[in-house]
Parts: sequence; C-alpha cells; structure tokens
Amino acid sequence: MKQTALSLPALRGVVESMSDDGLRPAREAALRSLDTRGLPTLRDEDWKYTDLSSAIAISNQWLKNGAPAASDDLQGSIDEITAAVAANWLIVANGVIDDTRFTPGDAIDVERFSATTAPIVADRALADLNVALLQDGLRIRVHATPERPLGILVIDSANDAAAVSQANIEICVSDNCSAEIVEYHASVGEGDHYANTIVSLDTGYRSQVGYTRIQNRRIGHVFTGRISAALGTDSTLDMANYDIGGGLVRNDVDINLAATGAAANFNGLYLVGDNQHIDNHTSVEHRVGPAVSSQEYRGILNGSCRAVWNGKAIVFEGADGTDATQANHNLLLSERSEIDAKPELEIYAEDVKCAHGTTVGQLDETALFYLQSRGIDKMQGRQMLTHAFAVDLVSRTPVDATRDAVNALVSARLEELIRVQAQ
Amino acid sequence: MSSENIESIVNRCYEHGFVTDIATESLPPGLNEDVIRAISARKNEPEFMLEWRLQAYQQWLEMTEPDWAHVNYPPIDFNAISYYAAPKSDEDRPKSLDEVDPKLLETYDKLGIPLHERARLAGVAVDAVFDSVSVATTFKGKLAEAGVIFCSFSEAVHDHPELVRKYLGSVVPRRDNFYAALNSAVFSDGSFVYIPKGVRCPMELSTYFRINAANTGQFERTLIIADEGSHVSYLEGCTAPMRDENQLHAAVVELVALEGAEIKYSTVQNWYPGDENGVGGIYNFVTKRGDCRGDNSKISWTQVETGSAITWKYPSCILRGANSVGEFYSVAVANNMQQADTGTKMIHIGPNTRSTIVSKGISAGRAQNAYRGLVKVLPQAHGARNHTQCDSLLIGKECGAHTFPYMEIKNPSAKVEHEATTSKISANQLFYCRQRGISEEDAVNMIVNGFCKEVFKELPMEFAVEAQALLNVSLEGAVG
Repeated sequence: MKQTALSLPALRGVVESMSDDGLRPAREAALRSLDTRGLPTLRDEDWKYTDLSSAIAISNQWLKNGAPAASDDLQGSIDEITAAVAANWLIVANGVIDDTRFTPGDAIDVERFSATTAPIVADRALADLNVALLQDGLRIRVHATPERPLGILVIDSANDAAAVSQANIEICVSDNCSAEIVEYHASVGEGDHYANTIVSLDTGYRSQVGYTRIQNRRIGHVFTGRISAALGTDSTLDMANYDIGGGLVRNDVDINLAATGAAANFNGLYLVGDNQHIDNHTSVEHRVGPAVSSQEYRGILNGSCRAVWNGKAIVFEGADGTDATQANHNLLLSERSEIDAKPELEIYAEDVKCAHGTTVGQLDETALFYLQSRGIDKMQGRQMLTHAFAVDLVSRTPVDATRDAVNALVSARLEELIRVQAQ
Repeated sequence: MSSENIESIVNRCYEHGFVTDIATESLPPGLNEDVIRAISARKNEPEFMLEWRLQAYQQWLEMTEPDWAHVNYPPIDFNAISYYAAPKSDEDRPKSLDEVDPKLLETYDKLGIPLHERARLAGVAVDAVFDSVSVATTFKGKLAEAGVIFCSFSEAVHDHPELVRKYLGSVVPRRDNFYAALNSAVFSDGSFVYIPKGVRCPMELSTYFRINAANTGQFERTLIIADEGSHVSYLEGCTAPMRDENQLHAAVVELVALEGAEIKYSTVQNWYPGDENGVGGIYNFVTKRGDCRGDNSKISWTQVETGSAITWKYPSCILRGANSVGEFYSVAVANNMQQADTGTKMIHIGPNTRSTIVSKGISAGRAQNAYRGLVKVLPQAHGARNHTQCDSLLIGKECGAHTFPYMEIKNPSAKVEHEATTSKISANQLFYCRQRGISEEDAVNMIVNGFCKEVFKELPMEFAVEAQALLNVSLEGAVG
C-alpha cells in the first residue's frame, strides 16, 4: 500500500509565514529533520497496523488552504469541560495557548517556549512535524505540591475546512513534590481535523505524580499523541488513559526508568465503535534496577472498528531487580471489529521478573444467562457485564477530581456501543 | 559445586564435532542458472522440476535478504557457497545397510544413531541423509505393504511425479520468502512421505540430516502428505560436525493434512553451535509449514532446538479445515554466543479451529533467545480458540530473552489467550534441592528439565531421552 506523502514545499511555505519569534530556528531544524526522516509508513514495524494517510491528507489540504479562523466557537465546550473537572486549567485551543483560566500560584511556574532559549527536543518524525508547525509550547514547573490538580486541555475545532493543530507541553515535577495532572483532549466541528500532541514529563527525587489522560475527540477526527516520562529516583507515576472518542487515534506512552526505586503504574481503557481506529503503543525502558512497572490496558470493541495494543518492555543489561508486568484484555463484540495485540519483552538482565498476559474474548454467555434467569433483560445484562469489564479501570483513575467525569463519559459511551450491537 | 567442576562442564566440547573423510563430488562455489541446470541434470530430473527451479531462481534474484529477525551475523556471500555435494559412492548406491560405506556407519555411530540397532529395536525406518543424497533406507518393504511411500525426494520426483507436482510448493510457495526461494532453486534432496487414505503408518518415520563437507549449503526439501483419515509421526534429528566457517542451512518442510488426517512432526536439532566466542556454527534458516487442508485434521510440531549458531525458524500451521487443530511445542536453548529467533504462526481460517502454543526458551552465557509468534484469526473462523504460553529462563548475566507475540483477531467468537513469563532459576528452589542433599548440578538439571517437561512429554520416547541428554550437555554447570 502506498502512502500519500506530506507536501514538504507547502509545509515549508507555512513555516516561513509563521511569526518570526524565538521558535523559528527550532522550526527550521525540525523541517530539515522531517525531510530526512519522513513520516512513518506501514512498513515501519511500529506502524504496521496504523496508516497515517488520513492525517497526511488532512495536513496537505490544510497546508494548501492556510490557517483556519479563530477559536471563538470553542468557548461553550471549554466551559463545559472545565466545569466538569475541578482543576487549574491551561488551555491550548486550535494550537494557541490560552492561560486566562489559569490561576498562577506559588506551586506552579508556567512559561512559553518562545520566552526562553531552552532547546526543543524532537526525536522522531511526528515530533518534527509538531515542532515545525508549533505556534508555541508550554514549559511547566511544579515546585511545591499544588492544592488543585493541574489541568491541560487541548481542544480544537474544524468547521468548513480541514484543520491541523499542534500542542507541545513539558512538565517538570520537582523533588519531593506530589502533583495531580489532567490531560484532556477534545474537538468539535464537522470538518476534518488532525491534532498532534507531545507531552514530556520529568519527575524529581521522591516525587509522586497522578496523571489522568482523557481523549474524547470527535469521532472521525485524527489524533496522534505522545507522552514520554522520565522518572527520578524513588518517584512514582500513576497514570490512566481513557480513549473514548476520536477517529484514527495513535497514543504513544514512553516511560524511561533510569533511576533506582522508580515505579510506573499505567493503565488504559479504549472504547472503540464504528469508524474508529485506536492504537495504543507503550514502551517501558528499564535502564537500572530495582524499578517496577506495571500496565493494564482493556478494550471494548463493537462495530466496524479496529484497535491495536503494543506493549513493549525493555530491560537493559544490569537492570537487576526489575519487575515488569503487562496485561491486555479485549472484549470483541462485533464481526467487523479487529484487535491486534502484541506484548513484547526484550530482556538483557538476569535478576528480573517479567510477565505479560493478553486475552481476546467475548461476554460470558453463562453469566448473561444467569442475569436473564434473574429477570434482567438481555440488553441490560450486556450493559452490566460490559460495564463490569471496564469499571475496574475507571475506579483506578489516579486523579480524584476526574472520577465523576470519567465515569460519566465511559458509561455514556458504553451505552452507545452496546445499543449499536442490539440493533 | 567447585568452580573447576563448573569450568570443565562449561568448556565441554561439542561431542559430535568430527569430519568424516569421504571424497565428495561437489559443484564449484557460486550460483547461476548453469548451477541449477547441473543440479537438475545430475539428478536426472524431469523437465517440470528444472522449470520449477529456474522460476524459483528468477524470483529469488528479485528478492532481498530479510533483516527483521532479532539476530546479528555478517552478510552471507551466496556466491561463495557450493550448492551441491554428494558422497562419491553415488554411482552405486547401497541396496542394504551391509553395503553402506563403513565410514558412514561409523559417523552415525558417533552420533549415537546406530542404524541397525535403532531400526530393529525401535521399529524406526531411517532415511539417512548424508550431505545431500540419501544413502540408506530401511524398512521400505514393511512400509510398502501398508501402502506408505517413504523415499528420498529425488526418488519421488521419478517414481511419483504426479504427487510431487500436485503438492510441491502448495504449502510454501516458491516466493514465500528469500530462503524458501533459494531452497526451491537449489534443493538437493530430502524426504518424501505419502500416507494413503485411512492408513495409520505402522512405524515412526525418521530422517537424520547431517551437514558434512565444508562450504556446502544444505538445502533440504521435505514433503509429507497425509491423505484422508491417515496418521503419521515423523522424527527429524540434525547434527553437524565442527567447522570454523559458518555453514548455511536453508531447508523447507511442507506438510499437508487432508480430512481427518494427523501429522506429528518432531525435531531435535543439535547442529554445531560454534565455539564459545561465536566462531563457526550453522546458520539454520528454515521454513516449516503445515496445511490442515481437510476438516478435522491435525498437525503437531514439537521441536527441541539446542544447536546452531543462529536459528531462525517458525514452524507454522494453516488451519483451513473446520475443527482442525494446530500444536506447537518448543524448547529452544541458546548458550555461549548462540542466537535463536524462533516461534510459530497459527492462522485460523476454518470454523472451530484450535491451536496450542507452548514455548520454553532458555538463555545462558551471552546468548540471545527470542520467541516470535503470530496468532491470526480470520473473520470466518467462528469459535476459534488459541492458548499460548511462552516462558523464558535466564541463566547468567549477559544473556537475553525476548518475546514478540503478534495477535491479530478479526472474529468476535474467538477466544485467544497469551501468557508469558521471564525469570531466572530461583535461589529458593535451588536452596530447597540443596537442603535435601541434591547436588547443585543435579538441582539445576531438575529445575530446567521440569521447566521443559510440558514439551518433552510431547516427544516420542527415544527422542525425549536424547533431548534431555542434549539439554544437560548444553547447560549443566551454567549456574554456579
């Protein structure tokens, strides 16, 4: 299969037309790097199941038409989301930073990429694309334990014309701090949209981070998002990812355990219905030991859709005392659904404990029959069993403030998914 | 255990490393159409075989060498390999074992395969392949009585061309992959088995492959056809003498199981793994695939891989018939500088197809051992069922164990489970055994054997004994 190529001359034109701020050298460097790397294709092992053609087509169209209009139409949605989750919100709307809802306090410092000279790292093609088209990025430093969770809302709109947006956020949590972070993705509008986000997280000595990531973009909108976390000595990262919406979605979670005593625990739930393709790639690098990582991803698929889960754990030489577990469980409810799962282990150390488990199955007919025999109708029984499969991960959201919102989103989406099946 | 003792065991030499000094008649190194014509002519092949080979060669020329496996080796110069070697005695092939060159028999003796004894006591018919031409076949009469055809591939091409034409390349097409194409072009010989309808093969069939002459590639081709309702168990064992240069082995094995048929294919592979610095050893790049073509058919692969510098093979099952069953049981041991990238593919096409994968990987020394597997359930495979278990055992600080399992599920009634663990030999287990008066070496042996038990119990008796012995030779004392 041949993939459409990204129009580099058009991209160069747009990059040159962007404001002449401190980011210009980084944008140009990214452009050159993208030229040599090229965007990933199905021939790349990591992209075997996910075709970026639609993202490229949207980008090409947007590059041809120029930047879309302002983001006034988003205020209603922003109000709704920020009301549902009590947090100190920073907003990136259509790629433009909006800090009007953010209350600066003692615990958190925020500055823009354009205001500093710190280098911007782009280590792969999608990061190149992000930096090349980046309006501005956020560098956030949590240097004490904040009272409210830090919220980052990435929201976009696409109405008549195709639109593309980038967001790039660096978060650093200082030594001995604990922080709760919410990363929320949403989009509105009938038009085609492609959003490309990068978050990098650094946790300091003995810090504790709770991180909830909710992706609830419009079905049909394309999204590629990456979060890379480097954990400090004796720090813990507790993370949950919820994929509710989106069309073609690719999430990359990269965890680097290069300090002893670090622990990363991350989970994910993906609810996939018609016209959705949700790809979760996770990678954990155990560079030293002892360190612990555990992940559990669950998926519910119904309708014409596809989900991909690829969990990789690499245990480097000398990383003795590593304990790594991966679990992936899938409920496949439709003849038109497909799941591609691949748990990978690469181990170069001796004193390790690694395990992974993957299952693909459907609702237990005996359990369903039992419920029916108790007077619960089949549809409701399906709802109950499906909900039970997901609820475990919902209850484990590490940021309390998101609990109700996640619960509401998951329940509503599940109801939609099961209704489709009943029809 | 004293460190001297450990050292003596670790440094134990490859027991099967010797060279039988028989004059061989080889083609000069290099590969082109003339070489293929020469191979075909030497074997008096009919025109269709030559055509087939030449087409494969053309296809091979267009292909590029794959590089995705988790192994490292210097590039292979395909023009430095001689593609044909036959023992000189080819002209007057022996009619019975008594006529077999005593030197050859001695070779097999050293390998621990006394043909007479084994054939008589174990009731096994052995089609021994010495380099590239079959030199002895026993129990042909008994098999012929049952209607079983068990002969060398070259004989089959002459005596049963219709079967060869019908089935050759029907499971592993010529252009399936780089090495399958190469094999199709230059394959020298191999075994051919046909079990007629409703026949249960009266004995276990066995072939010993052995690479002998230096710089000769060994390109075996095995084709087994089990007709409706038949049953066959086939044993394959491999050893190669010690050589300093790496030798390429690119074999193709095709199995066809028609309705209600069952094929059990067992391999003990003990080719020279190279020395402790990774010098020498066999490159074992093999394509093995079984096709459960009929309903209710079954193909079972069992392999014990202890040899070869590099092993790169994935015995697979295409579960086409309804209710067909695929099994894969594997023990792969990699010690010193060995590299193994092995596993299986289970392609579920028919309804209610079932597959089981049990893979046990053991890494020691500086070896790298990878399991790579694919379980694919197509939309029409209702009620498909798979269970996969792959466990790795690490012995030593410098080795690696990796798993790359792919699952592609397109049917909602499929049940697929995969579990994997990686760990080292637990100090608690060792301590428990030591405390009961069991020596450290025996304790390690017991634990490793216990780890592999699920696979060994699938092997035919005499193979299981050999496999355990091989495992002990490969690993004893690796933990101190």
